[in-house]
Amino acid sequence: MPEVILKNLPFMLQGLATSLQISAMVAFGGTLLGLVVAVILYSRVPVLSAVSRIYIEFIRGTPLLVVLFIAFFGLPALFGYQTTAYKATVVAFILFIGAYLAEDIRSGLMTVKPTLTQAALATGLTHGQALRFVVVPIAVRRIIPTLFNQYVRLFKFTSVASVIGVSEFTGNAMLVNAREFQPVTILAFVALTYLVICLILSGIGRWLYARLAVN
Amino acid sequence: MNYTLQFGPIWDNRALILDGFITTILLSAAALVLAILIGVLVGTAATAQGRTARALSVAYVESMRNIPLLIHMYFWYNGLSFLKIPAFWCGVLGLSLYSGAYVAEIVRSGIGSVPRGQRQAALASGLTNVQAMLFVVYPQAIRAIIPSLASVFSQLIKDSSLASVIAVADITYQASAIEGQTFRTFEIYITVCLLYLALVTAVSQTLTILSGTRDGLARRVADA
Repeated sequence: MPEVILKNLPFMLQGLATSLQISAMVAFGGTLLGLVVAVILYSRVPVLSAVSRIYIEFIRGTPLLVVLFIAFFGLPALFGYQTTAYKATVVAFILFIGAYLAEDIRSGLMTVKPTLTQAALATGLTHGQALRFVVVPIAVRRIIPTLFNQYVRLFKFTSVASVIGVSEFTGNAMLVNAREFQPVTILAFVALTYLVICLILSGIGRWLYARLAVN
Repeated sequence: MNYTLQFGPIWDNRALILDGFITTILLSAAALVLAILIGVLVGTAATAQGRTARALSVAYVESMRNIPLLIHMYFWYNGLSFLKIPAFWCGVLGLSLYSGAYVAEIVRSGIGSVPRGQRQAALASGLTNVQAMLFVVYPQAIRAIIPSLASVFSQLIKDSSLASVIAVADITYQASAIEGQTFRTFEIYITVCLLYLALVTAVSQTLTILSGTRDGLARRVADA
């Protein structure tokens, strides 16, 4: 490994740990949000469905960077509260990826045959129980590859947080570059690291899908 | 909430916003053209007979789309700074190499959706390899892939906002500048959001309408 990388490795790995931490929190929060929104759309809850549709359309038409700016600069100004770059990043990313996950989970729910729900209801489950024990588990297991695509995307997106000053992997690497000025080596190292982690993540997705898929 | 919304300062800066909006459109359009070129080449290579072509194609797709777009941009702008490529073209290169990988995946699946016999029949009728692809396979593949292309295109438009980080004066960059001058933080970013939304919706709706009349489109392609 080139010397410039070795010398600054602890600092950059610290950033990588932050990137992974943000990704994990956002993956969890985003999936939860996506699930709730998807179930609202699937069950056609009045009013809430309309709100969910607007939310999804709005987020899907907006760049991540702008959502991040709104969470970091816009909302705190509007509602007069204090936030940190880290917190704003987590909030913005959850709101962002949640919209995409909601669409994916909803389309997964649609693939579950209505006869299954009817059978669940006939055995005496309530609508809520039928969703929780029958429809959602089948749907989620069917869309594992799509979910992991979003998680990979999310992990790549954490690099954008460096723009508002979160000291994650890309941000720390660019700081190192500002001191050492060896952009090609440093960027190559950063790119390779992202590449390897993304490939591992999609590998996990494929493995889980092979083990858990329901047809 | 002690914050009163004032859109006056935003309206006063409309010239800057419009300027940035045009840069965003130009940036996206240039990157789109290059991404389609890359996507068609790499996607076709993925369906080629030769093992080398297929391996190269997979390597391109997997490496390009698993590296964050921001790193792509930094690579052209900071990494190869000695080449002195203008920031705008660094943005175009980064965006198109990245999105090209997504387009390639779609093109590959589109070609896969055309029955094998179509190409074989075309070859048997005396067309060359290139002619068979251009006149028989692509026109049929394009009908299947328009919806997926629409979503990659709108993704590309939104991703172009990252070019603001390498100092391309697109709409996001102008928004930060206006925010710095007027402190109307929420108003400016919401305005920019709505402009992106309008642009993305316009592009994806146009493509959806095209795919809705895809028999009409196919006829036009066939006539051409």
